Amino acid sequence: MTKYLARRLGQSLLTVFLTISTVFVLVRLAPGDPAAAYAPPSATTADLERIRAQFGLDKPLVTQYGIFLRDLLNGDLGTSYSFHDSALSVVLDRMPYTITLSLAAIAVTVAVAVPLGVWMARHADTSRELGANVLTITGQSMPDFWTGVMLLTVFAVLLPVLPASGFTSWSGLVLPTVTIAILQLALVSRLVRREMTTALASPYITVARSRGVSERALTWRYALANSSVPLVTAVGTRFAALLNGVVLVEVVFGWPGVGSLVVRALETRDYPLIQATVLVTATLAILVQLLVDLAYPLLDPRVRLGKAA
Amino acid sequence: MSATLTPSASSARSSAVTARHLARATATRQRRSARFKLWAGALCTALVALPVALASLLPLPDPDAQNLAGRRVPPLTDGHLFGTDQLGRDLLSRILHGGQVSLTVGILAVVVSGLIGIAAGSAAGYFGGWIDTVVSRLLEAQMALPLLMMLLLVVALFGPSVTVITCVIAIAQWPEVARLTRSLVLVEREKPYVAAARLLGMRSWSVLGRHVIPNVLRPASLVVLLLLAQAVLLESALSFLGAGPQRPFATWGRIISDGQDYITTSWWLVTLPGLVIALLVVGVNLMGDGLRDRIRTTKTTKPAKGA
Repeated sequence: MTKYLARRLGQSLLTVFLTISTVFVLVRLAPGDPAAAYAPPSATTADLERIRAQFGLDKPLVTQYGIFLRDLLNGDLGTSYSFHDSALSVVLDRMPYTITLSLAAIAVTVAVAVPLGVWMARHADTSRELGANVLTITGQSMPDFWTGVMLLTVFAVLLPVLPASGFTSWSGLVLPTVTIAILQLALVSRLVRREMTTALASPYITVARSRGVSERALTWRYALANSSVPLVTAVGTRFAALLNGVVLVEVVFGWPGVGSLVVRALETRDYPLIQATVLVTATLAILVQLLVDLAYPLLDPRVRLGKAA
Repeated sequence: MSATLTPSASSARSSAVTARHLARATATRQRRSARFKLWAGALCTALVALPVALASLLPLPDPDAQNLAGRRVPPLTDGHLFGTDQLGRDLLSRILHGGQVSLTVGILAVVVSGLIGIAAGSAAGYFGGWIDTVVSRLLEAQMALPLLMMLLLVVALFGPSVTVITCVIAIAQWPEVARLTRSLVLVEREKPYVAAARLLGMRSWSVLGRHVIPNVLRPASLVVLLLLAQAVLLESALSFLGAGPQRPFATWGRIISDGQDYITTSWWLVTLPGLVIALLVVGVNLMGDGLRDRIRTTKTTKPAKGA
């Protein structure tokens, strides 16, 4: 167990390290000069040189990378060019908003998709199930930014029942959450349906039924409990993909999270801020993955960590 | 006979039905729904893809012809089926011409990601060892990362040309193909014909290329449609964020983000392009889903031939 954990942590650290290094190099390979973006239009070449030196961009790439790694070990990700503040703290300030939105979206998705998937499994291959299936596929096929704009127009502009943007009150969470959930619904409900169909057809269900266990208990306590491991895996692995959706939805709804931050940082060539955002989100996604893996033995006592291939 | 013993639960499968009846009934119903999805999907796809493909043959105004006198004309007026945008350009024409770029990017991206994915996945599955370790680690790492940020980064930095965007989407999608191909090859390489080919003295590269890959190509190609749907969505997301191709025509995401400012007064500028994307992607997804279902039902009902 300890060995397993150590190996997994090592792998995760390696992934994060490679990611951040890739970003470091990519950012600097690309054309475009951050100094020009922050200098006043009247700046002379000397001014630009001075700004570049101030940002530490005048040194050779390898030296910059060395300095970057040294600071990284000390938990310093540099100072954001546009916020004039520690890049890490700028990102961490925004993080709770993104996490809130992601968790709300996951909760809503699971709360809808699990009963839906169970219902679909119990009505497998009927025309009603086909209808539900087509509906979820439609939800999956709408571009999330478009769904967001449409929901916004209907529920915040035409019928002003919900706030249009930002995080002013908890009701501001509703529309972004629904937008993300619509997209995720198809995948999760299809998975639940597949697992439940298999589970409901297995011999232990027949045995339990023959012993007089009620259909409700069969469905929810027997079959669903046994389908929970693949479900948790899927939600865990979808988390990174979910963060993608969050970026778009944050931009549409003006949500003050990391997604809208990174879009702004890219526009202004804010190297430290871009690096900090990628580092923090990658760490978060990998951490979630690790937690999911660690949760297996809790859900299924047959699983022993470290022995799995 | 056993009907009297079944519990009263109506929705559960009654055990009065023999296994043969059951298989046939389920299979027919499965096949029916798969056929429905295939046809409905093909219809939706054709509704969008055909006009897009024939955009330059249709009697449409030039997508870039501005007419400041006829700005934001509602749909179905003055010969503008979809109305006009904030510069008086015909919206339908813009959507169809932009769609050519979107679809080209989508199809190219799927081809590129398919090539990378099949090459990497089959090498990993067939040779195992360090190749498998490297490919699998890469796959895991990429699945664990929120990719859109990285894609945005690359496009923002290297410019939104069609080539860059195609490559970026292909890079986002290759893990899915690679994972599938790898698992298929793992099964395939244990089959007797591979051992026979090896015994006959074929080198492992030619066994892989001439025998194994052709045999996994068909099942692997099932994901193509689903990938295409994702690619179209991804492209529209990128162009919505301003990282889409600008030339020769603005693509769907860009049209939507341009129209966003006028949503309260001119609903069609956002609604119609979005519907077009949704219709196309629904169609492609339905076809992909139906195809997958059909393969699955034929697999379970017919005993597999040979292997």
